[in-house]
Amino acid sequence: MLQDFLQAYVNKYGFSGYTELRAQQNRNRGVMMLNGSLTANNSGTSRGLSARVVKGGAYGFASGTGYGDDLEAIAKVVQTASSHAAFLDSRVQRGKPEFPAIAAFSRKDGFEHDVPVEQSYLLGIVDELDSYIAERFPKLLSRRIFARVLDMEKLLYTSDGVVSHSYVPRSNVYVFMTTQDKDGQPVELYDVMGGYGNFLNNFPNAQDLFGKLEKQYEQVILKAEGVYAKPGIQTVILDSDLAGILAHEAVGHTVEADFVETGSVGGPMFGKQVASEKVSLVDIAHNAFGKLAPVPVFVDDEGTLAQDQMLIENGILTGYMHNKESALKYGHMPNGNARAYDFSDEPLIRMRNTCILPGTDKLEDMIASVEDGYYFTDMNNGQADSTGEFMFGVPMGFEIKNGKLGRAVKDTTVSGVAFEVLKTADMVSDTVTWTNSGMCGKKQSIPVGMGGPAIKVQINVGGRS
Amino acid sequence: MKQVFEVKDKALLEAAELILAEVKAIGADDGETWVSRSALTEVYYELAKVSMVRTVFTDKVSLKLLKDKRKGSTTLNSFAPEDIRLAVQEAWQAAQSAAPDEAEGIAELQENLSFSAGDELPDLNAMYGQLDQLLKDVRQDFPKISFDSIGIEHNFGEKLYANTNGVRLSDRRGYYQLSNMFMAKEEGKTSSFNYFATVYENPADRICEENRVRRLLDESQRQIVTEQFAGSFEGDVVITPGCLTDILYYVADTYLEDGALISGTSPWKDKIGEQVASPLINFELVAEYPELPGASPLSGDGFVAENMPLIEQGVLKNFSLSRYGAARTGLPRSKNSGGTYVLGNGDTPLEEVISGVERGIVMGRFSGGQPGPSGDLSGVAKNSFLIENGRITKPLSEVMISGNLADMLRDTVAVSQERENSGYWLLPWIRVKGVTISGK
Repeated sequence: MLQDFLQAYVNKYGFSGYTELRAQQNRNRGVMMLNGSLTANNSGTSRGLSARVVKGGAYGFASGTGYGDDLEAIAKVVQTASSHAAFLDSRVQRGKPEFPAIAAFSRKDGFEHDVPVEQSYLLGIVDELDSYIAERFPKLLSRRIFARVLDMEKLLYTSDGVVSHSYVPRSNVYVFMTTQDKDGQPVELYDVMGGYGNFLNNFPNAQDLFGKLEKQYEQVILKAEGVYAKPGIQTVILDSDLAGILAHEAVGHTVEADFVETGSVGGPMFGKQVASEKVSLVDIAHNAFGKLAPVPVFVDDEGTLAQDQMLIENGILTGYMHNKESALKYGHMPNGNARAYDFSDEPLIRMRNTCILPGTDKLEDMIASVEDGYYFTDMNNGQADSTGEFMFGVPMGFEIKNGKLGRAVKDTTVSGVAFEVLKTADMVSDTVTWTNSGMCGKKQSIPVGMGGPAIKVQINVGGRS
Repeated sequence: MKQVFEVKDKALLEAAELILAEVKAIGADDGETWVSRSALTEVYYELAKVSMVRTVFTDKVSLKLLKDKRKGSTTLNSFAPEDIRLAVQEAWQAAQSAAPDEAEGIAELQENLSFSAGDELPDLNAMYGQLDQLLKDVRQDFPKISFDSIGIEHNFGEKLYANTNGVRLSDRRGYYQLSNMFMAKEEGKTSSFNYFATVYENPADRICEENRVRRLLDESQRQIVTEQFAGSFEGDVVITPGCLTDILYYVADTYLEDGALISGTSPWKDKIGEQVASPLINFELVAEYPELPGASPLSGDGFVAENMPLIEQGVLKNFSLSRYGAARTGLPRSKNSGGTYVLGNGDTPLEEVISGVERGIVMGRFSGGQPGPSGDLSGVAKNSFLIENGRITKPLSEVMISGNLADMLRDTVAVSQERENSGYWLLPWIRVKGVTISGK
């Protein structure tokens, strides 16, 4: 755990003007095995200190790697940030008042999950999974297993008197399986397991994962025997993984206030119908459906107490995600979306756990309702645009013919314009599933959670004619 | 500049020597380390204003040790002796649990050298002035453009590679870099976003005078109102230089690098010396090249880097393999770590590259899923224009392409005379025939 040297600094020097002072430590571990050979066996720590100072609306930021009991070193970081703010203020002369003060508070979150894990434990799990695959699945051309740990610990002091010490662990195991189709072309499918929590709790033994490996193998063989999807607009049931990335990529980015300010489609659509009334979308701070969300944020990196941010309510666009500055500008409340990845990063407006809320339909009824279409179950990446146009990769799915699942589908892509696609959502399933392995890229990469039920939509499929 | 080995910042040398001594003392057979100290200074624009000045001071250490061909590695960002000793112990413990791998090793003894380039200290006034000038130029010449963000950075760092074979290599380098994201907007409508990044040595450069920058900004202004088409057809795709860098990244990752060759999934694994692409394709990874300050003189695994052709006149010449990948596959090691791409220019003027298309698109950006191991890819052709009867006729949206990377290189029928340079890559426009292009 990070030692608190900031309290002594604040006691001695205090703050001059609006200041955020943050010590942070990201610990990571990675083990990768490719066809039985260990190709990565890494661990690492990124630890340091940053200060952000605001003067007249101009921001100065500085960071350094030496975080310890040397209060002069902390003072140097704060002074560098202050001198940057003064330099920029002298140039831009914006003359903005300071952010409204908030009531001081202090809290500590997540440390019950701070359970150290040895590198040898990751190696053991990966080795056991690799042996199982090698022995049981003869039709594979190659196999790759990747275990990853990322634990983020932050200690924040602000000039408002906020003190927040938080610990957010994440651990995942990725399994990639590659086989060949009848033409000898390689066909790949991956699965990812785990999420919030330390590695020991998420993966108490390898045997618990064998069932998932069996299912993945069965699916990659089906995919190798599969067909290409037909291109063009199709009726598609997007399962939870895809609904989650739709919520994140297709809508979430367009309603981040900085993107709205630049001119994203989320700006002119505020208060308007942007989706079917069956669709409600929320960026969850830390708890949802009676459980901890995948990436819980209790206090953001500007010291704002985090709350859920409703984005779409029954199809109407009702909210944006903000930092303190954009919230002030739009006259909204900041709800804790200012997040930084590393100690050397400044907080940006980011999503946390973006989720389409569940509906009332049963998945089997949704499939039965499709005469000719697809059921897409997995996603592998996605991107969004200022126009709301988006795409994401679909590595696994099935045809639906006359209400029944048919042949597997090879790699394809789906795309569309977010608000147009969501207006076609006429069925929403009653069960939400979260994914917690993704990193969202926006100047900095940062962990995010994505979730959703299955939704039935009309969407463009990038198949082959 | 290449010179005899000399590290200016003695703290780097002291940290590296301590690491190697600790590696030996703990009982490892071999060890290697990268040690670096850097400062990044950034002037940043967002929320419609110059918003922030930022400085990041970073010390960084990565180390690897081997015992009986068992590997352990770790990273930290401290040069403090007590932290270094702990890191070596952590790597040692990781190695104890690892399986032996005969392909593991470290760089062999070679001439110890140092490299240097660029300014050590940022010129903050010039950086601010350059950003201010860019905003003024864009406001005047491209009034519909709206920037989401612009970052002008000065990076300076010295890094040292050292290993227990006696290899010592260092690089001391300063450069400026501009990156951004922008769109065009008018009357409540917006274009697709786009971006450019450029690496350069002089903060007095007027960014908006660069042809590539003007082209991209102009194209976005013309893409505010787009059209869609129904159905799909097989047509030609003209790929712009900025988009081509993504396609070439996929080509390298899918066919030429460690993962694809060690796993045996690369369809090109046995094709050295064979025709894998159109004779018009000359693809090179460079370590030193005029006007490409983004190229690196050192490889990631401890060798002095050199330029290396991957494909010459369509014939596969080399793979891009690390020292480890080479040892695992029995193929030659790459002469550099990749990432800096040069594609030879062709003999067709850009105008004729386009005028030769009966029906197709210009693709400015590709937004698609990671290609599968065979190279199959599909995705959205962003920032694209329709070409009909040799003329660009209208801006498009919601257009997808699908095809195969190897087929696209094989079916390249024209390469432009003109090339664009980002400081990281130097690439022409290429025209690929027979790609499936689908609308709504």
